[in-house]
Amino acid sequence: MTVLVIRPDSWNLPLLLHVGGAMALVASVTVAAVALIQGWRTGAPSSAALKRFGARTLLYAAIPSFLVMRIAAEWILSREHLSNSNAAWIGDGFLAGDAGGLVLLIATIVANVAVRRDPDSGLGKLAKVGAGLSVVLIALYVFAVWAMTTKPS
Amino acid sequence: MGYSTLLFLHVTSAFTMVTAAGLFLAVALAQRSDRYSATALRLAPVASILWPIGGLLAIVFGVWLALHDSQYSLADGWIIAAIVLWVIGSAIGGRLGAGYRKMATSGAAADPSALVMNLALILTLVVILIDMIYKPGAS
Repeated sequence: MTVLVIRPDSWNLPLLLHVGGAMALVASVTVAAVALIQGWRTGAPSSAALKRFGARTLLYAAIPSFLVMRIAAEWILSREHLSNSNAAWIGDGFLAGDAGGLVLLIATIVANVAVRRDPDSGLGKLAKVGAGLSVVLIALYVFAVWAMTTKPS
Repeated sequence: MGYSTLLFLHVTSAFTMVTAAGLFLAVALAQRSDRYSATALRLAPVASILWPIGGLLAIVFGVWLALHDSQYSLADGWIIAAIVLWVIGSAIGGRLGAGYRKMATSGAAADPSALVMNLALILTLVVILIDMIYKPGAS
């Protein structure tokens, strides 16, 4: 059964910002992951440039996108009067949002510290951790999309 | 297949399209900097794979959703608008992907219109998202 295909108009803007922010977040984390993994596979100096590109993408694109997605999530929850809901899909959303936010923060810090410590060489251990965490984030975001669209009880 | 599963597959495909557009944009922005221009082309093959897969699955599952649910009709204005925008976006993305592939394989010079085409693609995707959320004309 389909419910609420047409939403109240007041829900549309926060939902647009939430979904748009989530799309920008997934896109920017994927750009960073691809850059870091390609840097892992190639030698310097390409590797150094890809490491820097991936780290900067996390900092300047993924973090702002995360903030838009997360703030809009609170906005749409309050509009739908679900702030105190115990629904499983909302819990899953908080898990992906907040745990994912922590993982994103760690990935951004380690990748940018790696660039700062050694700007002209290959990935190194820290940037490889950033690459791995970016892949974990993509998997977490697929789970979040599943939870948000199927709304399991 | 149920409504929820179709919606999940449709939205995941849309995320894949946007991710490919993000990769295209990253390559275009990198072309403006000597520091990244050559290395950023390594992102293009992934974008060229994700774009057609995401695009094809988004339209297939989108049309399936419209046929599956009695509240939707393929003749609805907002669905027709989305399909037209999808065709425009597919053409732009296909051209961008082909251009980047050519640059990566034969060392062709960057297309000066690539950044404008990227911005047109992002604008098209934003308008599709607005159309999907607001569903103008739906009752």
